[in-house]
Amino acid sequence: MRQQHNSNTAPSSRFGTRLRGFAALAIVGAMALSACGSDAEDEASEEVTEDTVAEVVADDSCPSAELLDAANAEGQVNLIALPDNWANYKGILASFREKYPNIVNPVANPDASSADELVAYETLQGQPTQPDAFDVSPAIAQETASKGYWEPYKPCSWDEIPDVLKDPDGNWVAAYYGIMAIGTNTTVVTNAPASFADLTKPEYKGLVSLNGDPRQSGAAFAAVVAATLANGGSFDDIMPGIQYFADLKASGNLAGTDVTEASVIAGETPVWLDWTYNYPGLAPTLVENGITWAIRVPTDGVYGGYYAQGVLKDTPHQNAGKLWIDHIISDEGALGYLEGGAIPARFEALVASGKVTDEAKANLPAPELIAQIKFPSQDQIAKMKEALAASWGPMVADK
Amino acid sequence: MKISRIGAWLTLAIVATFYIVPMLAMTRFAFQRVPVIKLSWGNVFQKWTIQPIIDSFGSPDFQRAASLSIMLAIATALATIAVLLPTMTFAHLGSPRTRRLIEISAVLPFVVPAIALVVGFAGAFRDTLPILIRSSFGLVPLYVITALPFTHRTLENGLAALDIRTLVNASRSLGASWWRTIAFVIAPNMRASIATASFLAFTVVLGEFTIASLLLKNTLPLYLSYAQGSNPQGTFGLGIVLVVISTVFVAMSNRFGKKVRT
Amino acid sequence: MAGSSKRRARHLVFLPYVAFLAIFLGWPGLYVFRSAFAKGTAERSPMIEAVTGQFRGSFVFSLQLSFISASIGAVIGALVAVAVVRLDTVRGLRSTVVGYSAVAANMGGIPLAFAFLAAFGMQGLATRLLREINVDIIGWGFRISDFWGIVLVYLYFQIPLMTLVLVPALDGLRRTWAEAAQSLGASSAQYWRLVALPILTPALLGGFLLLVANAFAAYATAFALSSGGSRLVPVQIRFFLQGDTITGKTNLGYALAAWMVIITALLVTGFQLLMRRAERWRR
Repeated sequence: MRQQHNSNTAPSSRFGTRLRGFAALAIVGAMALSACGSDAEDEASEEVTEDTVAEVVADDSCPSAELLDAANAEGQVNLIALPDNWANYKGILASFREKYPNIVNPVANPDASSADELVAYETLQGQPTQPDAFDVSPAIAQETASKGYWEPYKPCSWDEIPDVLKDPDGNWVAAYYGIMAIGTNTTVVTNAPASFADLTKPEYKGLVSLNGDPRQSGAAFAAVVAATLANGGSFDDIMPGIQYFADLKASGNLAGTDVTEASVIAGETPVWLDWTYNYPGLAPTLVENGITWAIRVPTDGVYGGYYAQGVLKDTPHQNAGKLWIDHIISDEGALGYLEGGAIPARFEALVASGKVTDEAKANLPAPELIAQIKFPSQDQIAKMKEALAASWGPMVADK
Repeated sequence: MKISRIGAWLTLAIVATFYIVPMLAMTRFAFQRVPVIKLSWGNVFQKWTIQPIIDSFGSPDFQRAASLSIMLAIATALATIAVLLPTMTFAHLGSPRTRRLIEISAVLPFVVPAIALVVGFAGAFRDTLPILIRSSFGLVPLYVITALPFTHRTLENGLAALDIRTLVNASRSLGASWWRTIAFVIAPNMRASIATASFLAFTVVLGEFTIASLLLKNTLPLYLSYAQGSNPQGTFGLGIVLVVISTVFVAMSNRFGKKVRT
Repeated sequence: MAGSSKRRARHLVFLPYVAFLAIFLGWPGLYVFRSAFAKGTAERSPMIEAVTGQFRGSFVFSLQLSFISASIGAVIGALVAVAVVRLDTVRGLRSTVVGYSAVAANMGGIPLAFAFLAAFGMQGLATRLLREINVDIIGWGFRISDFWGIVLVYLYFQIPLMTLVLVPALDGLRRTWAEAAQSLGASSAQYWRLVALPILTPALLGGFLLLVANAFAAYATAFALSSGGSRLVPVQIRFFLQGDTITGKTNLGYALAAWMVIITALLVTGFQLLMRRAERWRR
């Protein structure tokens, strides 16, 4: 099995290397699809043995030897839009490098929106910097699927992932999720709002911000859905949420600027809507700047949202990409997300196997809130996306 | 010509204030660790640090972006001179109508805004000459075009001050080829304009965002806009430093230009 | 025979330049227009849709912003240019001003937008300082993301651009003419009105046009002020062109771009004609 990498076509030409890569990919692909489905795996980490021992797989030993080899041969996985402070990606990227020292994982454009990621994939087609894996909002995940860009891959521990957090065909998994919360810079605004209703109060005029345009940014989209739930709407009807923001803009409460780390530190966006897991990362810088803050999950609209991760078709580093997906689902990945305040997909399984310390749970939102989380179905997401695309512009953005 | 000197100084002072205030605000944001709301005359000199810039300068992403931008700037300047100098010399030797045509052609880039240019460029060459889109140096022709109106006019000023016909005739009659004439006779007499045009090309490239952003090339302006997401204070501190450096650079090159002209 | 072939040979030297422009300016332009007229699955041509409804509003907004920032910028830029030339004897002043103008004229995007936010935002340094002297611009309703806020930010690169255009033109105003006018008994006001201004008119008009086109085409800064700037045409072009992913209306993006080219072309020709008339007056 190792021979194909020391292939006798000493390829100095790029075409030769690509041919080698494709051959490796084809074989690995075949093996991965058959092997990961079954339980016949060997221990992957240090030693690669030629035997295939039929063993029930322990959860993070799954990545097959072939996949590891192929990924190491590729030596790199191109990632995109993974900010350091987002659900502790800094830690997760570092733990990946620790586990696989031969593979680098550069992150392009950390602040890209989910829509930007798709654009990057299309624009950089055929180039060595093309992203190998995505981390996108559910709406963009659907878009990616409809364009046929996903490379289906079921990572190890597939069975431990709840059905609602994965695509049945293996196109993507949702490695983490969180709750939409209202953050307040209490140095500037002493009275932190606790609900969507609060945000409409005149004392917050010009102070409320979203994390981008909901038609492009997953976080902003989620904020609109949360507002929908708070205002009598449902996953089938996003109009109340759009109307809420239209009113917020009309009353002048919705500020003109998007929230970024810079704007938070500068105090320009003292009240903003973002995922619960985005706040722990900000903490050190805020403290350094003498800023205090408060995070409240809105009492009237609890919306939990996930992001979808998956490997993309025809990219330069298919195997390393798959290894990355394996990593974020694995225990190391899951614990990394926990540290960042996000709820990993395999949370139940991890708690059951006693791997979650109380300390790790400290950054999570309260269990009663987590229990309230319901995710919209793919159809509902599609409909909401359409309604948003049609109405957000005329009702909110262009006013 | 009775513009009072006082009036002139006053004007400059007022406008300078407008220019300095945002830069000052950005500097304070980058280097001081006190939220504006808590700022008082008492603590205005407290908690300053330059650590974030040191981190920024050391970041490999920054170094890559900076070197790419500098290389693109040099390439653009060279390409501009290479394309424009011969063309404009010949235009000056030809009929006024030709010169007028070239002048009009140099204004054409205004008609096509950068955003339209880059989406057209990407669409047009995506299937036919993808190398232009893949390689970072595919940006150079676009940058030459973007800078064209300014570089053209600068070189035009330089050429107009010379008596091209005489110079060319003299040089050619002494047996020099066209290339030697342009390179060794015309160009040295236009050192100031060539220098200014090159520096204009430089500032255009180092500030250009639209084209690089849509073609996803990691130039310096793009780095500044990406990095501010995760390290705002360091990145904006870097931005300020770059502004100061560029200004000094261009100012000095201007003086160099002036000296040579006299 | 010899004459015409020589002429042809002479015109051949322009081939590289013309080819360069044709490939890198002409071809992309053609592509934009071709795509703009392609109907695809829509019922009406994208060119028509691009100027109806909300897009008409965007063009109007963009043009308003462009003309207003150009007018204010042109006036102030001209004053700066005059001041700098007047103080020509001060060592280093001119190079510093021209140097900073070259840098500021190319500034934009997120750094500039943020600098203004840091200065004039709700928690801005200048806002705070003004509050100390009891001037509350936020209370007056000033917001960086509103129209006048964006104008202010645009002025940052509009003013230096005008200065850069005008300084060389002012250099061209020979001192001798001023002295001649004076010796003929003209007052300084008359000198300006009858001698200097007509000579400067092409540069002034040309500079104004340049500023309008510059503001109209500005993308980076519009993009950075995105919540406020999303009504601006360049940002909408990008939105629709990545737009395959969201709205399925890619050609609309090209149509918007095509209209931008048309409008800018009209501006340029209009002012070229005006400038020609001004020059004729001069002769």
